Amino acid sequence: MAKFITIGERLSTTAPAVNKAFTQRDPEPIIARAKQQLDAGATYLDVNIGPAESDGEDLMKWAVQLLQSEFDNVPLALDTSNKKAIEAGISVYNRSKGKPIVNSADAAGRIENIDLAAANDAIVIALCNGEGIAKDNDERMGYCQLLLERGLEHGMEAEDLWFDPLFLVVKGMQDKQMQILECIKMFSDMGLNSTGGLSNNSNGMPKHIRPIMDSAMVAMAMMQGLTSAIVNPNDTRLMETIKSCDVLKNNTLYADSYLEI
Amino acid sequence: MALKGLDIFKLSPKKNCKECGSPTCMAFSMKVAQGAVDVSACPYFSEEAKAQLSEATAPPMKTVKIGTGSEEFSLGGETVLERHEKTFVSKTRYAAFVCNCMDAATIDAKLAQIPVVEYERISERMYVEMIYVNYKEGGQTDYVELVKKASALGRTMVLGCTDVDVAKAALAVCKDSKPVLNGATASNYEAMSAAAQEAGVVLGVGGANMSEIYDTVKALEALGNKNLVIDTTGATIKETFANTVQLRKAAIKDGDRTCGYPSIVNLAKLASGDMHLQSALAAVFTIKYGSIVVMEEITYAEALPLYGLRQNIFTDPQKPMRVEPGIYPINGGDENSLCLTTVDFALTYFLVSGELERSGVPCNLIISDAGGLSVLTAWAAGKLSSSSIEKFWKEQDIEGKIKCRKLVIPGKVAVLKGEIEAKLPGWEIIIAPTEAAQLVKFLKDMA
Amino acid sequence: MPFTAKSGKFNASIKTVTIGTGDKAITLGGENVLPFYTFDAPIENAPKVGIEITDFGLENEPECIKKYYEGCTTLAEIAKKAASFEGVDFLCFRMEGGDPNGANKSTEELIAALKEVADAVDLPLVVSGSKNVEKDAELLTKAAEALQGRNAVILPAREENYKTVGAAAGLAYNQVVGAESSVDINLAKQLNVLLTQLGVNASSIAMNVGTATAGYGYEYVASTMQRVKAAALSQNDTQLQMPIITPVASETWAVKESVTSEADIPEWGDQERRGVDMEVQTAAADLACGSNAVILKHPTSIATISKMIKELI
Repeated sequence: MAKFITIGERLSTTAPAVNKAFTQRDPEPIIARAKQQLDAGATYLDVNIGPAESDGEDLMKWAVQLLQSEFDNVPLALDTSNKKAIEAGISVYNRSKGKPIVNSADAAGRIENIDLAAANDAIVIALCNGEGIAKDNDERMGYCQLLLERGLEHGMEAEDLWFDPLFLVVKGMQDKQMQILECIKMFSDMGLNSTGGLSNNSNGMPKHIRPIMDSAMVAMAMMQGLTSAIVNPNDTRLMETIKSCDVLKNNTLYADSYLEI
Repeated sequence: MALKGLDIFKLSPKKNCKECGSPTCMAFSMKVAQGAVDVSACPYFSEEAKAQLSEATAPPMKTVKIGTGSEEFSLGGETVLERHEKTFVSKTRYAAFVCNCMDAATIDAKLAQIPVVEYERISERMYVEMIYVNYKEGGQTDYVELVKKASALGRTMVLGCTDVDVAKAALAVCKDSKPVLNGATASNYEAMSAAAQEAGVVLGVGGANMSEIYDTVKALEALGNKNLVIDTTGATIKETFANTVQLRKAAIKDGDRTCGYPSIVNLAKLASGDMHLQSALAAVFTIKYGSIVVMEEITYAEALPLYGLRQNIFTDPQKPMRVEPGIYPINGGDENSLCLTTVDFALTYFLVSGELERSGVPCNLIISDAGGLSVLTAWAAGKLSSSSIEKFWKEQDIEGKIKCRKLVIPGKVAVLKGEIEAKLPGWEIIIAPTEAAQLVKFLKDMA
Repeated sequence: MPFTAKSGKFNASIKTVTIGTGDKAITLGGENVLPFYTFDAPIENAPKVGIEITDFGLENEPECIKKYYEGCTTLAEIAKKAASFEGVDFLCFRMEGGDPNGANKSTEELIAALKEVADAVDLPLVVSGSKNVEKDAELLTKAAEALQGRNAVILPAREENYKTVGAAAGLAYNQVVGAESSVDINLAKQLNVLLTQLGVNASSIAMNVGTATAGYGYEYVASTMQRVKAAALSQNDTQLQMPIITPVASETWAVKESVTSEADIPEWGDQERRGVDMEVQTAAADLACGSNAVILKHPTSIATISKMIKELI
């Protein structure tokens, strides 16, 4: 089994400092945040430039080139609703360390992002979601099938579609948590890869609680077969949990110093 | 090989008609993969797709049986590429080579050598299990006579013969012993297959290269003969290694059933005259996928390491190898010699007995039943304790068999000294060093 | 329909480690396929074969080895002779006599012997310790110092003494550190992590992951090596991508199948042939399981294994 893949989420326009740096094309804060995440063990970095309707293409190119030249072609997830920006990013992307990830497609308005990923030999995060949140796993798996078929039709390998069950917030949807975990098991039984914004589950919880909840969630989800997650790699407890689960799942070989590498 | 839901889904009609009771074809595929529902529950799954499915779930490699009675061996049937994943099930079998191209004296000498190797190692009989009888056109000895002579030794044979008529004549005198007929090629496979099937023996398939062999195997399968082994011997050592490994990989990893047959590797052909090179290669092909390995001769020199290696490689990775409990005299130890005890874990036994042999000191190594565990594990599991030793002493009547009353116990269980002294009155209990490597010095100092 | 095999080439590869200097320098590792799988991708650096001599000279050697060194009396002569045998890529000097439980030779005496050997040959060197961790800490530090400029392998750095041996060999004197873990794959990885954390360059680490004679618990050696290679290549575990060096002779020439004379067990036949077969079969198995170098001692074994490697690469 392959090692769990972490996608660092901290380069996002939702963070004011990042937003400002993106707008001003100021490399320093971007590089600093990227470095923190990579030092903490992130495999991929997510580059969320927001909708970026006016200058998305230019911005994504700038970000991709900046990060890949600074960090030895670090693999990236290109995160925006602006399709042209994703294409522009891929046009300058170096894939020596891994294919680009298109973040993301869904079974409704953004299904064409599957086609985009297929045309560019990219990985795509496929949200099992139509209009609104799926009511049960039958519906989720229906979307899964739809997205998978679309990808296969366009010549993708199934392994390049990473299915996202959509993690739900505990405060408000506590009774749906096991459903999400069962959905991950179904992906895994199918032999499909999976991912998701794991920390969604702890939204709105006190700050000191979130790492604990996220760690518990990632452990349970990895048990169910989750193969990747979009996370804050600077959450030490979470990263330690992931490394420990990788050992228990025999994805990496144990050594006494396993937390340090 | 277990199929993933995805593989089944790819074959499914993708109609989402719900007639099977599942909401989607994907959900249905998942259930089929788990074995929760049979694929026949879907009215739209094509016959062709079903055939593909059953093909894909068949074992990746055939098990073929050769020989009869106590000399019957299974070949193939492996499901993994490396032994730590799961036990290899069918041991490599080694064959000694004779040929009708040899003169009578050479043949007699070769055949006389075969029964010489005969010994037991960790409860397994070690001997030359097979004879490869090669046919060369115009050879100076009559092939059928040679087969008769070889068959008198009672070993399972491989008839290396591509001439159909000669093969038939040879089978006529030995088919009851279920030899392998290693003789099918691209040009003779139909007739050769008929001969093998009529005699009820396994057919060996060879060819100039893997593609030719592959096509011949396909053709034989189409004729209904799947009782096959593949001779992977190529023109060079390198080619033979590539053929043998690629065949096994294609079968186990890629699920290509046409490759799922045991192999014959003929070292007598590849390294003729160089026994040390054959020895080295036999070790390589024991680890890498040789089912029958043919050597020009098998004397103790080749056998001692090779059979030991095979015994190691073909063990259950979850189950340690054990030696029989009992008294093992070393360096001519007798009833008056010092006693040492350790566990029945084979590795511990070999380490300890090796060091004792090196010391030259006559002694008795007493192996008690410790569940095949190492010293500390056995101690922790309660399988090496003062009472287990007391019990063993009684069962084996150690005190009746040995007069010496000095017993050396493993350094790692020094804590047992007092308890053992209490349970074995009259015995002086001595603590050994913690590492076997220190035993030589320890014994020499004691003497 | 032609038979087409899927390539088993990996995206990761074994790190290269160079030993020795000048024309005779050798490089271990670099491959991105399993041992001898040249059909998946070319293997640039074929496995290498070393010859072992010890500080005891010929004193403890069986007759069938001694005869190849006829006329050699000093260590320098023995080393020169050893270097001249067909197929020898490097020389291993084992300071067996340093063991406090054995001859307990002084560090000064052994280092003098090492220098004599090193000065006699220009082959890449592996220097191997006394099997005693405390003694080795001192002995191998001095050995690393004495061999400055030779880019030698200093073997073994073990869990108990890696700081001393690793710092001397890998940091102070620019040698290659040989990390030894006895068939414990987790320890093999841990030692590499610790040595790297100490500041030793990953391209200056080689591993001895364990060794045994064929038939003597060899399944542990086979599985350890195969699992190391699997983790290194298929999981891209960078802390297990160091090449493997396996001492063979010191194991195989200690078992009864190799040392018992023909007079003692006549049916076993010629002792030399037996000893060589035990040595070549163990070495061949090691190479098939993933060793990048083996250390042997009988000239016929070396010629045989060297030939086998040429045939397979």
